Amino acid sequence: MKYSNEIKVGVTIILATVVFILGVRYFEDLPLFNSTYGLTAEFDNAGGLIAGNIVRVNGVAVGSVNAVYISEESGKVIVDFHVDKNIPVTEGSEAVVAGFDALGVVRLELKLGDPNVPRIPEGGLVSGLNPGDLIGQMTERAPEMMDGADRVLGQLEGVLAEANTMLASPESDFRQTLRAVQGSVDEVETLLSEERERISDILGNVDRLTADLDTAAGEDGEAVTALMDRLNTMMTTLDADLESYSATNEQLQEILRKLNDGDGTLGMLINDPSMYHRLDSTLTGINALVADFQNNPEKYLKEMKLVDLF
Amino acid sequence: MLRNTPAFILNPLQALGRYSQLLFHAFGAIPEFGTYRKNLWEQMVRIGVESLPIVMMAAAFSGAVTTVQTSYQLVFPLIPKGIIGAIVVPSMILELGAVVTGFILAGRVGARIAAELGTMRVTEQIDALEAMGLNSIGYLIVPRVVAGIVMFPVLYVAACFVGIGGGMLVGDLGGFVPIGEFVDGAREFFQPFDPLFGVIKSLVFGFTITSISCFKGYYTKGGAEGVGRATTQAAVASCVFLLLADLVLAVILL
Repeated sequence: MKYSNEIKVGVTIILATVVFILGVRYFEDLPLFNSTYGLTAEFDNAGGLIAGNIVRVNGVAVGSVNAVYISEESGKVIVDFHVDKNIPVTEGSEAVVAGFDALGVVRLELKLGDPNVPRIPEGGLVSGLNPGDLIGQMTERAPEMMDGADRVLGQLEGVLAEANTMLASPESDFRQTLRAVQGSVDEVETLLSEERERISDILGNVDRLTADLDTAAGEDGEAVTALMDRLNTMMTTLDADLESYSATNEQLQEILRKLNDGDGTLGMLINDPSMYHRLDSTLTGINALVADFQNNPEKYLKEMKLVDLF
Repeated sequence: MLRNTPAFILNPLQALGRYSQLLFHAFGAIPEFGTYRKNLWEQMVRIGVESLPIVMMAAAFSGAVTTVQTSYQLVFPLIPKGIIGAIVVPSMILELGAVVTGFILAGRVGARIAAELGTMRVTEQIDALEAMGLNSIGYLIVPRVVAGIVMFPVLYVAACFVGIGGGMLVGDLGGFVPIGEFVDGAREFFQPFDPLFGVIKSLVFGFTITSISCFKGYYTKGGAEGVGRATTQAAVASCVFLLLADLVLAVILL
C-alpha cells in the first residue's frame, strides 16, 4: 500500500512531537502519562536549587522543580514545582532543599503531612523549611578557616621548633631548670615521706591553734583587741629600739673600721706587730730567766738569804 | 570606489547581497501557498522522512561512542556512574543531536538541493518556469526551505531519542553503567531548557542548510561542471555556516 506524502509527513511529525514531550517528561522525572499538579514553596535560601531538580518524597522521585526565582515583594525565594497527582500533599506538608550544592546534586524533599487532612490545592503554598545548609556554609567559610588553621599551625611549628632546640641542647636553661625542678621534687618527696608523721602532727597543732584562736576571738573579742593593741605598741617600741640599735650598729661599725685601719690606740695595738714582737722577746727573756733559775737556784737563792733574814 | 575593492572582499559581499535578495523574494512568495503546496509535501518527505534512517543511525553511534568515551574518561572512583548519563544526555540534546543531524543533512539534503536546482538552471528549466509565468522562487525554493525548517526539528528529536537510547544500551550491555543509574544521573542534571535550545538550534540549522543550498543551486553557472561546483559548495558552505550558527546560538542562548 502506498501512503501519500501528506500521511508520511504527518505521522513523522506527530511521532516526533510525542517522543519529544514524553522524553522531556521522562528526564524531568515526571510520570509519562499521569497528570501532575503544581505547588509553590517559599524559602529564605534556595541552596543551589535550580529548575529541573528532582522533587522527592521519602527518597522517591515524584516530580521536578519548574522554576526558582526571587519574589519581588518579599525578597524570598519562590520555588514552583509539580508532583504526581497521586501523591497526597496534604496541609502541613513541608518542603526542604536537600543535597550537596558543591556536587551539584540538589533536591527538593517533601515531607508529607497528616494523610487525613485535606490536600493543598493546585498552585498552593507548601511551607518551606529553611535548611541548615551546612556544607554551603562550610564551603563559604572554608577559606577563612583554612587561613586561621594555617596561621595557628605556622605558629605551632615555630614554637615546637624552639622547644625542640631548647630540649635538644643539654646546656639550655630549660633543661637545667627541669632537672633542678626534678631534684627539688625528689627532695620534697623524700622529706614528705620521712616527715609524714611530724607534718601531720604540725598540721594537727596548727589546726588546734587555729581552733583555739577562733575560740579566743569568739569568746573574748575585747581581750584579743587589747592584746593586739599592746602588741602594736610593743611593735612600735621595738621599731624605735631597732632604729637606735641601727644607729649603735653604725657607730660600732665606725669603731671597727677605725680598729681595722689602725687608727687610735686600740687600732695601733691591734695592728702594730712591733708590740707583739716586744712581748715575744720579753717572754723569751722571762723563759730564759726561769730556766736559769731552775738550773742555778743558788745563784738567786743567795739573794733569798736576805729574805731568810726576815 | 568599488572597482578598486579586491575580489576577496567584493565576492562575499556580492554573494551576501544576492542571498538576501533571494530570501526576500522567497519570503514574499510564502503567501502563495497554492504555488508550492504539492511540492512542499514532496520536499518534506525527501528532506525529512527519507533522512530519518541515516540520521538515526549516525545519532545512535554518536550516543554510544559518547557513553563509552565518557566512562573511559571518568576514572576517578568517587564519581558516581550516573554522571555518565548526566554527561551523555545533555551532550546529545544540546550539541550532538542537532550538529550530527546537521552535518548529515548538509551532505545528503544540501547537495541534493544544489544539484537539482543547478541542473534545472543549466538546462534552462527555471527559465522555462518563469516563461510559463510561475514564480520560480516560490515554486522551487520556498517548499525546500520550509520543509527544512519544519522537518529538521523532527529529525533532531529522532536523533536525540535514538542517540540517548543507543548510549544507554551500549552503557548497559558494555558494562559501563546500568540503565537505571544512567537515567538517574541524567535526571539529576536535566534542565527543561536544554531540549528547547536543541529545537531552536535545529530550526536555525534547517533554515541555514536549505537556504544556502537553494542559493548555490539557483545561481549555478556553466553546465555540468558548474552543477558539480555548486553541489560541493552547497555542502561545504552549509557545514561552515551551520557551525557558525551553532556557536552564535550557544553564546546567545546558553
